[in-house]
Amino acid sequence: MKSSEHPYAGRAVRPGTTTIQPFPYLLLPHLWSSRNRARRRQTGDLARACLFGSIGLFVCAALFQGSFWLTTQLESYEELGDYLLRLGLGWLFLTFLSFLAFSGIVTTLSTFFLADDLRLLVASPVAMRRLFHARFVRTVAQASWMVVVFFVPVLLGVGAARCAGPLFYAMAAATVVPFATIPVAAGAMVTLALVNTFPARRARDILMIMGLLFAASLVILVRFIQPEHLLRVESLPDLTDFFATLQSPITPLLPSFWAGETLFASLRGGFDALHPAALWTTAMAGIVAAGGAYGRWYFSGYSRAQEAPKARFTELRTLDVIAAHLPLSPLRRQLLVKDVKVFLRDVSQWSQLLLLVALMLVYLYNFRVLDVERIPFVSGFVKNIYAFVNLGMAGFVMATVAVRFVFPAVSAEGSAFWIIRTAPVPLREFLWSKFWTGLVPVLVLTETLTILANEFLGVDPFLKLVAAATIFCLSFALVGMAIGLGARYPRFGADPTQVAGSYGGVGFMIQAILLVLVTIALVAWPSSLYVFNRLRIVPLTMVQRWLMVACFTGAIGLSAFAWIGSMRSGVRALEQMAD
Amino acid sequence: MIAIHELVKRYGAFTAVDGVSLEVAPGEIHGFLGPNGAGKTTTLRMIAGLLKPSSGRIVVNGHDLAQAPEAAKGALGFIPDRPFIYEKLTAGEFLTFHGGLYGLNGDTGTRVREMLDVFELGRWQNELVESFSHGMKQRLVMAAAFLHRPRAVVVDEPMVGLDPRGARLIKDVFRRMSEHGVAILMSTHTLEVAQEMCDRISIILKGRIIARGTVEELRTLAGDADDHLTEVFLKLTGGSGVQEIDEIV
Repeated sequence: MKSSEHPYAGRAVRPGTTTIQPFPYLLLPHLWSSRNRARRRQTGDLARACLFGSIGLFVCAALFQGSFWLTTQLESYEELGDYLLRLGLGWLFLTFLSFLAFSGIVTTLSTFFLADDLRLLVASPVAMRRLFHARFVRTVAQASWMVVVFFVPVLLGVGAARCAGPLFYAMAAATVVPFATIPVAAGAMVTLALVNTFPARRARDILMIMGLLFAASLVILVRFIQPEHLLRVESLPDLTDFFATLQSPITPLLPSFWAGETLFASLRGGFDALHPAALWTTAMAGIVAAGGAYGRWYFSGYSRAQEAPKARFTELRTLDVIAAHLPLSPLRRQLLVKDVKVFLRDVSQWSQLLLLVALMLVYLYNFRVLDVERIPFVSGFVKNIYAFVNLGMAGFVMATVAVRFVFPAVSAEGSAFWIIRTAPVPLREFLWSKFWTGLVPVLVLTETLTILANEFLGVDPFLKLVAAATIFCLSFALVGMAIGLGARYPRFGADPTQVAGSYGGVGFMIQAILLVLVTIALVAWPSSLYVFNRLRIVPLTMVQRWLMVACFTGAIGLSAFAWIGSMRSGVRALEQMAD
Repeated sequence: MIAIHELVKRYGAFTAVDGVSLEVAPGEIHGFLGPNGAGKTTTLRMIAGLLKPSSGRIVVNGHDLAQAPEAAKGALGFIPDRPFIYEKLTAGEFLTFHGGLYGLNGDTGTRVREMLDVFELGRWQNELVESFSHGMKQRLVMAAAFLHRPRAVVVDEPMVGLDPRGARLIKDVFRRMSEHGVAILMSTHTLEVAQEMCDRISIILKGRIIARGTVEELRTLAGDADDHLTEVFLKLTGGSGVQEIDEIV
């Protein structure tokens, strides 16, 4: 093209211009992106949509059925039923109020301070007010969609059980919107204060640890209260005290109480103007207050978020020392050290272990307090049945840990994968290194869980041995499957949580659960046959012995096939990628 | 025009930009050179309104960035070193959205097509950005920056990832822009480009401007009027390290 054809040639340059578009204009790229994504489907998108859609529909149907059943049951308790329903609605909203506030804080950090497109928007002549409103709408949507998706079937179930009129559903919609807005506005202001105090990336790490500690302590607290005592007839006199503690004097001041009262009134066919008014005015005031605060302090916070102070990290020299003494080739040693260091220096990775540890403690505590001896005559039988339940639970925990921490191992190489591909490293060696790095922690974790739980239960020594051996085989199989499928379906650009929830991740979970169930079936029958025949002092026939051997061999063979087959398939996939 | 006065940016105890003053007149192409970590990108990001200065003043087209940020940003075109583009938008959609941000209306469609043609992306108008090469993305970002006919342009490393044809095109566009009175502040490590295009050059080292002038003035300052700009740059910023490299190799 000749220079004289340039479009600005011969024209007056326009003076400085600013955005005159209303704030929803700033949401357009996300809408257009979603539309383009839907138009240009990729391989597996339809299958993924069907799979996730079916799971979602199933969960929604279960929630609807559960809330319908519970509300119907409560209705048969006359006035106490109404009282409990009112209390339940208040508590339902209270639970989500804290969730939304925390979710609001974390989402704001991402949408207002760390999102990539802010580099484009902040540099353009967009008024702060418009940017705030656009980002706030996005933050509320992102922080609350899960709560809304949960509320829809639950409130539909409650409404259907009480044969509520259209007013109830209209009020439900009019309640959920301000109810979601208030905690997110509060969360946005907390984040603004945090980001102006700490650099945004440090604030994210702090929030992540705080959130997980909060969740872990909540899980432990709820479990240690031992709510199962409420089901015992001898503890009935304590119920009144229990309900009294549920009615804290501060709850009437919270939006959750207003939301509960609004819905309860419309459920009974009445109309309560006070509580919805309180909800809407507080939501509006929240938006105005947050908008004012962002107008004043946003730019300084955003500017701090761009700063990259020298990273603080642990050198982890002990790890180098330990690795130097391991009987590994230099290549495997370096891959191991790199993987462990990257994991331990990334707060978003290791902090999730806190929640896992809390869940493990609760799991073991459940077996510790399980009062099997209260069941006369059959306590021995129940104990041994529990051994297999425990095996299934440990298998499920193993699959969950594998999909979250092992499956993303190849994807975690991210944009640095070129180093492996261009180095003189056989891809087989690379993948097996990933396997051994993942196997050791998974094996130690699930073996500990199984052995301790069986010890607390006091199951038969033979079953303890079978359970430990089964977990040993399953660890190899599941970690091998996770690594292999992770190599076949890598997502190099995504973070590990997204990788775990991807098409390949869901596929792994389905295959892993199937494998666990089939393996348990293969070991449960011969083990129970052996144990019960021994208890009844009945010798095993030769056919039974051969069947036992066949079943155990089948279980071992299945694990070995899943392990080796998946690893080979993973290596092939990596080699094809290199081709 | 772009004017910055005593600009300072501190990160805790570290001062990244230390009292930088600079003026780019209308129609001038001003080169902003310096070694890695000297404070070039930090300065440019402050001018673009992405970083808040610790102190100092930035004026774009007569608008103080702190007092009237929207007016100042509206007159500026910013081409960052690591630009953000919505990957799931087409080139046309991205430019249309960008035009809206800068208050373009009415003939946006015509203007978008015009700019895509200028930057040789016309046939890619309806393709998703995610399928673009690095050089194409770079040209798209430049098309976006010039879409609203800015009075001043700040550009960080414009030639990275461009093929010779693309680089020639960008040089051509910059020259034509400056002929039409646009002030251009350009950071680059490609010293041939700076030598060929810039009316004046500022060299920044450890957050401070250590030299400023035309290529000839800088040569004189470095003590050898025949030196290539690379030699001048190395003399002013502290040696080439060639001897050490020889020892290692």
